[in-house]
Amino acid sequence: MLEQFRKFGRELFLQGVNSSHSGNMSVRMGDRIFITRRGSMLSDLTERDIIETGLHGDDSHIVLASTEIKIHRAIYQGTSALAIVHAHPPMAIALSLICDEIIPIDTEGIYYFKTVPVIATELTVGSDEVAEKLPPVLGNYRIAVLRGHGSFAVGQMLEEAFQWTSSLEATCRVIYFAAQLGFPGALARGKQGEPSW
Amino acid sequence: MAYGWMGRYLEVDLSTGRVGYKELSEELLTHYLGGRGLGVRLVAERGPGIQPFSPDNPLVFAVGPLTATPAPTAGRFSLVSRSPLTGTIFDANSGGRFGVQLKRCGVDALVITGKAPQPVYLSITDRGAEIKEANHLWGEGVKETTDTIVEAEGEEASVACIGPAGENASLMAAVMNDTHRACARGGLGAVMGSKRLKAVVARGTIPVRVADRERLDFVIRESRRWIKANPVTSRGLPFFGTAILVNLINELGAFPALNFQRSNFEGAENISGENLTENILLRRKACWGCPIGCARVTEAGGMRGEGPEYESIWALGAQCGIDNLETVAKANYLCNQVGLDTISTGSTVGCAMEARQRGYWPEGPIFGDGEDLLRLIREIAQVDGRGRELAEGSRRFAQRRGAPELAMEVKGLELPAYDPRGLQGQGLGFATSNRGGCHLRAYLVAPEILGIPKMVDRFSTRDKPGLTIFYQNINAAVDSLVFCRFLQFSLSDDYFARMLSAVTGKAFRSQDLHLVGERVWNLERSFNLACGISGEEDTLPRRLLEEEVKEGPARGRVVYLEKMLPLYYRARGWSLEGVPTKEKVKDLNLPTFKG
Repeated sequence: MLEQFRKFGRELFLQGVNSSHSGNMSVRMGDRIFITRRGSMLSDLTERDIIETGLHGDDSHIVLASTEIKIHRAIYQGTSALAIVHAHPPMAIALSLICDEIIPIDTEGIYYFKTVPVIATELTVGSDEVAEKLPPVLGNYRIAVLRGHGSFAVGQMLEEAFQWTSSLEATCRVIYFAAQLGFPGALARGKQGEPSW
Repeated sequence: MAYGWMGRYLEVDLSTGRVGYKELSEELLTHYLGGRGLGVRLVAERGPGIQPFSPDNPLVFAVGPLTATPAPTAGRFSLVSRSPLTGTIFDANSGGRFGVQLKRCGVDALVITGKAPQPVYLSITDRGAEIKEANHLWGEGVKETTDTIVEAEGEEASVACIGPAGENASLMAAVMNDTHRACARGGLGAVMGSKRLKAVVARGTIPVRVADRERLDFVIRESRRWIKANPVTSRGLPFFGTAILVNLINELGAFPALNFQRSNFEGAENISGENLTENILLRRKACWGCPIGCARVTEAGGMRGEGPEYESIWALGAQCGIDNLETVAKANYLCNQVGLDTISTGSTVGCAMEARQRGYWPEGPIFGDGEDLLRLIREIAQVDGRGRELAEGSRRFAQRRGAPELAMEVKGLELPAYDPRGLQGQGLGFATSNRGGCHLRAYLVAPEILGIPKMVDRFSTRDKPGLTIFYQNINAAVDSLVFCRFLQFSLSDDYFARMLSAVTGKAFRSQDLHLVGERVWNLERSFNLACGISGEEDTLPRRLLEEEVKEGPARGRVVYLEKMLPLYYRARGWSLEGVPTKEKVKDLNLPTFKG
């Protein structure tokens, strides 16, 4: 399992969707969760950076777990996901500030997502509000973006959740470039006040 | 004094009965803040030549500029004196609500000297102090004493008192406040007992003035968000209390057992926070103004009380080879009731158990014997029977028994629940602590175990001198404010500076707090040196320096103190012998001592 965490943690950093210490990942195994340590560098994970704790209840390892443990638990309890990747992809975050949803215009994005919900909450880090709003959305979508904060992607395995994260950022880049080039409607459909999800 | 501080302290001479206020200058308060810093300054200015049990030895209760404001955990106070256990200048701090009541009496500190002709207690109000007769309380336990005084003085009154241990001058005696909270370490309860002072009760109504309430509320709101977002302060400590560390530290091979003969304990799970929560927890509790709430109200063995905390679980459990949670909880209740420091008591009994194991004390207790532990706690408090041998702590006991190497202490203060062979920075922190074997002076547990602010290699000595100094300084400042150490899990230094600025109306930056901390640290050091406690005492028990850990993650390691200590001295601006240079003393504007 460590190898998987190391591989995709490093890729997230190399692809520029995480900064040095941002983001977190987890895997569910029955009633246990394996999650990255609070403050760890996803690009340089060691055995000590993978923290095992309960799906439902806390134990002593909770003091080491990622700050977002509450959100990961809520997602696992509210969806069939077995893996979660949380990242801070800059293009997706930028678009989330002006859109209620991110609607792909490129073939890959349309194929994978159709639309990516943007969720707005007052507090975006480890808050009860996020834990309440995000799981129902991820029950229907592979990935969603917390406005101004970052993406949460789910899958059966880490690679899947990683893929949605990587693909979302690529899609957002296309939207941005297309808008810069004057492509009509590149941003129009996802603007605030018009969510379709 | 306009905001935050009250600008004066109350002085009581128990020998003469004289009571009076003295002013505190703005400069002194800005330089030392309050709590530990102010207390150390007030003790130090009376000179290092005073013996701990001399009537002239001052006992100082001190609060901070943020005490009794809405700032989180701002209900604490410090107790400072010269310790009879270590001979050093010594501060202990405690939560509950005593600090709030004392501050509302309109003072930043209470300085007690002298010795009463008969047992007394001090009643502090807005109008000053009144010395009251306490013959009827002498010999009583902490709960009875507290209840009796509260009944006499009113529900709002908050009581800090000693139990029989303090009366009988056990060098491990604590001062207990609000029944269950403790200024536990260093035997300051014995100093109080030597003055025939059974208790101090405070009940005040004077409000603390805040310079910029709007700004303070904003910083507090922000602080609470961080506290809530951090799993340590929002889940770990509230749900399991400090005992959450038992399993964690044990897994890391840094949970000492059987007087540090081992670095993990087979019965750890039985005495863990998880087990405590499941089996003996009645409810959670918080000190005044605390949003974390790590205190536990528990029931075990037909007794009810608070705790046990992580350190107490270790000292009365693993250190003594006891893995029965009920026994550990009962021992903890008993220590609180008779007014004993759980860490020093458990550690000293563990030392005695090894003395028995190795044939140095044939009538000593045996590892794992919980009933004997309970018996010994009573005897230590009464300084009676075998307790007479142990009441002066492990260093004196082991020396008398001809086996000084069995005492797990630094400067006479028993070490707490971390085996530094698996935590090099914590080892340096223990060795250089001004009050002896204390985990909270530097508390490198945060970066070495909890990854706060970032995880460092706990087995490496690299960078540890600099980190140790950094934390010793900022912690001294936080102890002077007086805030709880656990707040630092969630808040960076600048939050403390911002709250202090908002309350006092004076501009403080985080580097100003570090400077205050450095000043306090160097003053403590200079005082200790003048007391004859030299750099040679900056060391650890031989076992930790020479005996390799036999199993677990720290296998094959000792503390590599010789690599860290010279660098530490140099980075402190001290001589190779660990003495602050004249330049350092001058830079920090410290008083100088003869000696």
